[in-house]
Amino acid sequence: MKRFEDVKLDEAQDLYFPTMCKVTQAKQITDMEKWYELEMPEGQDLGHSPGQFVEVSAFGIGEAPISISSAPHNNGRFELCIRQVGVLTNVLKKYEAGDSLGIRGPYGKGFPIEKLLGKDILIIAGGIGLVPLRSLINYVLDNRTDFGRLIILYGAKTPNELLFKEEIAEWIARDDVEFHVTVDQGDENWTGNTGVITTLIPGLDLNLNTTIAAITGPPIMYKFVIMSLKSKQLADDQIYVSLERRMKCGVGKCGHCQINGVYCCQEGPVFNYADIKPLEEAF
Amino acid sequence: MECFSLLRTDVPALIDHLGAFGEVVAPHAKGDVSYSFETVGDSSLVVLDYNRTLLPLKKEFLPPVEKLVSFSLNDLTSTPVEIPIEPKVYFAIHSYEMQSILRLDHSMLSGNVESNYLKRRTKSRFVGISFTPDEFHFSESVGIAIEDMEGFDLFLNEVDGDYQLYVLTENGRLLIHGFNKLKTAEPEIVEGREFKTKIRYHYNRLPRVFQYAYHSDVWAEVASRCVSCGACNLTCPTCFCFDVNDEVTITAEDGKRQRSWDSCMLSTFAEVAGGENFRENTINRTRHRLYRKFKYITDEEGLPWCVGCGRCTAFCPAGISLPEIVNDLIHEDEQAQLHQRVSV
Repeated sequence: MKRFEDVKLDEAQDLYFPTMCKVTQAKQITDMEKWYELEMPEGQDLGHSPGQFVEVSAFGIGEAPISISSAPHNNGRFELCIRQVGVLTNVLKKYEAGDSLGIRGPYGKGFPIEKLLGKDILIIAGGIGLVPLRSLINYVLDNRTDFGRLIILYGAKTPNELLFKEEIAEWIARDDVEFHVTVDQGDENWTGNTGVITTLIPGLDLNLNTTIAAITGPPIMYKFVIMSLKSKQLADDQIYVSLERRMKCGVGKCGHCQINGVYCCQEGPVFNYADIKPLEEAF
Repeated sequence: MECFSLLRTDVPALIDHLGAFGEVVAPHAKGDVSYSFETVGDSSLVVLDYNRTLLPLKKEFLPPVEKLVSFSLNDLTSTPVEIPIEPKVYFAIHSYEMQSILRLDHSMLSGNVESNYLKRRTKSRFVGISFTPDEFHFSESVGIAIEDMEGFDLFLNEVDGDYQLYVLTENGRLLIHGFNKLKTAEPEIVEGREFKTKIRYHYNRLPRVFQYAYHSDVWAEVASRCVSCGACNLTCPTCFCFDVNDEVTITAEDGKRQRSWDSCMLSTFAEVAGGENFRENTINRTRHRLYRKFKYITDEEGLPWCVGCGRCTAFCPAGISLPEIVNDLIHEDEQAQLHQRVSV
């Protein structure tokens, strides 16, 4: 047990003080989602890994955990994509280039890149789940020779709700990306697959020895996607999930994100399925 | 360890002497039946014989509402809150309360070390006192004796109405330096202070019970009586969960970000964006609270995160008793084992 006597005052951190970051670009990309590029105050690197999150705040409104959507790089900028579903996120809708946002983080554990090297990466993104997975996708594309196949399954409710359409077009155009998309309900222009995201899984030809799946989506999606992957004989430890919780402090104190005994903000949000499978509150 | 005798009538003088080190916080009577830890103004008002305070001592280190950041909405600047490091003496503290502070130390200082908590804790001194358990105390069941002196600098053990003062640390020795109403004494053992309420198993047998209790029928029975008010969490000395919110002044020019104690028994505690709730039912929330006390941290640290103060039971408006829940789980576990043996 950690004892008070073992801790020195200079180890203490002001855990809740945000850093102000400038919005360098902002764009409403769907009816409900806005994309932002932000710059750290001294131009330093945010230092995140794919799958991590930051606490975003607007003074007077509050804070919320938001997944980082860009791949790690060193130009001092990072990207977020925020769905407008609450008070804070609806206020953030008004933020444009030149405005400043409070940021704490990056927090949590992202995807274990070292375990993914040389592997086939199967991305399964449902709706807003593409936001954190875009960070991983772009990391793989930035380091393409370090990985095997890149297979992306992406599902949205309607064609209107598809995120990052221009990037998707680029992914589709690439020979080294296998991209599959589906919508729950198409429109008159939709010629692609219709149905839930699990309809894309049976047709996949996976190499079971080398495939790692990364799943992010609405809570209801996980059980069915995992069931479908299990029917393809993918082992539990070859599956990673990023789980959503209301991570209010981000530093393992406030208790809101607890999944049984596990703090999602510290041990997650990315978990290996084999590790989190026994936890009844996970899905 | 030095031991002195101290007359009960000389205790106010001791409190006044301790005031030379810093502010003294001690139990005071509130109304007819309640007690509260308050800053001592008049040492004769300090209550030595009390059962428990409504709010635990954690309020001194983790205040119920605490400003974290000040901000200006005019120029979007913010300032962290400076916590002064002040010498304080916490006087007439029961052993379970001290054990709760040791557990809070672990919770707030492991992993990310929180400066607000650590600064408040840095120059704190603790003077313990023995107590007579009432019908709600059950500290012995979680491994804490009345005379457990761990964490204290000084400890007052009541013997025949007066006290024996134990000096436990160098800081304790410095606290009483120059106080001339003490006489060297031989430590005496006090008989007869027994806990009336007990959990039937020693605490080191509880991990087995909780390992198999997740789907117990006991949770539904407790939940059917629980009104989800959160009083159990707010009065618990080892609960440390909090909410964070911004508050803006009436001029809308500046404001503060603050945290306030929260409760995992409240229905929205585990809600996420979009309205999904991972502990929507009272059953799930009741179970989570007990698992926080006897399973999750206990698995890692080997100690229950319950100190047997009895507050959650004494102040529950629905009369729900934590020891009864645990005893019901033990009973169910015994029945399950018995059934298993019979069927074999």
